[in-house]
Amino acid sequence: MIGIRRNVMVERAIGSKRLRMVRGDITDLEVEAFVFDITEDAKLGSGFGGAIQQRGGIVIQKELDTHGSVPTGEAVVTQAGALKAEHIIHVNGPKFREEDEAGKLERAVSSALKVAEEKGIKQLAFPPIGTGMYQVPMDLCAKVMVDVISRHLANGGGLEDVLIVVQDPREIGPFTAKLEGGA
Amino acid sequence: MSKPAKTHKIKMMEEQLARKLNRQVVGSLVGCVHCGMCNECCHYVLSHPDDPKMTPSYKADQVRKLFKANHDWTGSVFPWWVGADKAPLTDDDLDKLKDIAFGTCTNCRRCTINCPMGVDTATLNRIMRGLLTHVGVMPEGVRVVSKDQWELGNQMGVLKEDYLDTLEWMSEELEEDLGHGEAAIPVDKPGARVMYAINPREVKYDPRTIKEAALIFWAAGEDWTMPSEGWDNTNFGLFSGDDGLGGASAKREYDKARELGVDKIVISECGHGYRSTRCEGVNWSGDAQAFPMESSVITMLNYIKEGKIVVDPTKNPKRVTFHDSCNNARSCGFYEEPRELLRLVTTDFQEMYPNRAENFCCTGGGGAMSMSEYTPRRLKSAQIKANQIRETGAEIVVTSCHNCVDGLSDLIKHYKLGCEVKQLVDLVADALVLEECYVMKSRPVAVAAVASEEPAAAARPVPVAAPAAAAPLAGRKVLVVDDEEDIRTFLVTVFEDAGAEVEQAADGNECLAKARTFKPDLISLDLSMPGKSGVDAFVELRRTEETQEIPVCVVTGHPEFRQVIYDRPVPPPEGYLNKPVDEDKLVSYVAHIIEHREAKAN
Repeated sequence: MIGIRRNVMVERAIGSKRLRMVRGDITDLEVEAFVFDITEDAKLGSGFGGAIQQRGGIVIQKELDTHGSVPTGEAVVTQAGALKAEHIIHVNGPKFREEDEAGKLERAVSSALKVAEEKGIKQLAFPPIGTGMYQVPMDLCAKVMVDVISRHLANGGGLEDVLIVVQDPREIGPFTAKLEGGA
Repeated sequence: MSKPAKTHKIKMMEEQLARKLNRQVVGSLVGCVHCGMCNECCHYVLSHPDDPKMTPSYKADQVRKLFKANHDWTGSVFPWWVGADKAPLTDDDLDKLKDIAFGTCTNCRRCTINCPMGVDTATLNRIMRGLLTHVGVMPEGVRVVSKDQWELGNQMGVLKEDYLDTLEWMSEELEEDLGHGEAAIPVDKPGARVMYAINPREVKYDPRTIKEAALIFWAAGEDWTMPSEGWDNTNFGLFSGDDGLGGASAKREYDKARELGVDKIVISECGHGYRSTRCEGVNWSGDAQAFPMESSVITMLNYIKEGKIVVDPTKNPKRVTFHDSCNNARSCGFYEEPRELLRLVTTDFQEMYPNRAENFCCTGGGGAMSMSEYTPRRLKSAQIKANQIRETGAEIVVTSCHNCVDGLSDLIKHYKLGCEVKQLVDLVADALVLEECYVMKSRPVAVAAVASEEPAAAARPVPVAAPAAAAPLAGRKVLVVDDEEDIRTFLVTVFEDAGAEVEQAADGNECLAKARTFKPDLISLDLSMPGKSGVDAFVELRRTEETQEIPVCVVTGHPEFRQVIYDRPVPPPEGYLNKPVDEDKLVSYVAHIIEHREAKAN
């Protein structure tokens, strides 16, 4: 289990709300909901998707199958099975240097936040969307994610605590710089 | 007819190529004179002599065309002469390039070291792979494995809790073998001298190598540890051409070693793991090499030379030969030490020819084991390796690489060579004379310090055989699935003797039906069966709610099992054993899988 408070590396207060960066495995996080970067075919696949299946059980993929597909920039929510989280928001972010990376990433983050609000979720964790396998540049990702989330938290809504969950130093640097650098 | 416009992917690849160009790469791009000397170096050419598309120069020309079209003056002046007019333009072209870069080359570098012009064709092929993965064009297995390594920190999707459980399991087995718990595997021990990094294949499918290494470390009196994170010495970035993945994976090892404050990283016997961690990772990650890194082969050899462990070669009397891993031998110049060690722990060593840097690839290198769509071509190209092995008359092929273990195992089955594959850690562990090793010889002093009332000799633990568990599978239900009746009967007998209630099925459909009605605690599943194959049955078991939680131990001897491990349409099987299977290993393995599942459920 990950003690979130213990692992907080950077925190930005936005009114009474918080945007925090923590280090850990997002699929093992004790959090109300977390975001998974899914492919258009709505299959969990390997990586975090494999961990979700192994730890959470088959019910998550079954529920995803009822959605059929997740177009780029859109998001759907499912239960989290046996995971510590209650919900998973599956969002299809930009992949493999496709056109309009920044725009697609912005839409994906916004969609995840919108779905979270519709579901009444107060606490949501994001991975750095697309920055590993999917080749989204880290600086671009940090800028878009921090800007979109900060703007959303500043504009009201029910979300109170948003986490960005990082694993490696290559992620920590750009996200720290962006979070500490102001809006 | 006018040319089609470049697609976005092609433009992205061209941008990425520009980032890869340095003096060495450009030298290789412009230096080829197409003399053909590389042809007879390549196992794909030798096994497909009538196919010019198998030649190394043809493969390298694919990236050369992109270079000529965008960066070299000859491409502007004579595009028809240098192939610049044939550079890829559409996404359909990329599928053809994928087949060439991933399906016809293992990046073994045999052509590279034999090129009179110094052209590094393997590097060019890896660059092409990197350009393709940059825009998402790659075999499914490469995609699956890369994502695992990016996100879970190891290329087989092993969860942290499963890794730690395996270490604990191996510690328990060592305790049973030795009669005491002193050889338990230390995890995250700060300030240890050695951090041992392994291949996830060892956790998932061959944990005995971890146990053997732990026994050797203990016998040598080593101050060692295994890390809870940053433990994967392998690196799929080497195979996929993704330097970002290469750097991130290597840095996880380096950072963990720094955090623990160890003196050095010892890398288990994995060819590409050694090359990636020791040689390439430092460059990919931009991390200064702050501490020594060595292969466990060197570590074991030094233990013998320093008298820390004592070995008896007569314990390994069968004829052995040695297969040089391409990454160890050709890329790292590491081939005399394994031979020196092999001669110390065996009595009948027969070289295979050619050898060392000129050895032929096992055909499983370059990530080929993860690309199931190319399995038939891979096995056909293995003919030359099969001939090499056959001519040695060896009963055991020894290699210091996990990829080679899998590649050799497949070709040995395919060409019916009738030998087995081992690693040096297996042979060293088998040859150990524990009573003479450092840990036992030093014991009287250590024991006397804490228990002076008892004679030291009496306190010396003597290796004892573990008391055989009467019925390790008592109360368990096992479903045996295999189309061959004699194998089914053998497996049923083994499981029943171990106390299990057993039912059997002869094909995939029967397996699915009995899985629902019998509700076994574990399914022992063959994959190669007529009718509904084991692979299809396995996927359906995983996708069916009432059977998805049943652990599956694959028991097969056929290469198609790679598909469920690497393409991974569903979570992978809990266990894998190669046929012919050892009875004790089977029972112990299966009992552990069931216990682990119960522990997780609770």
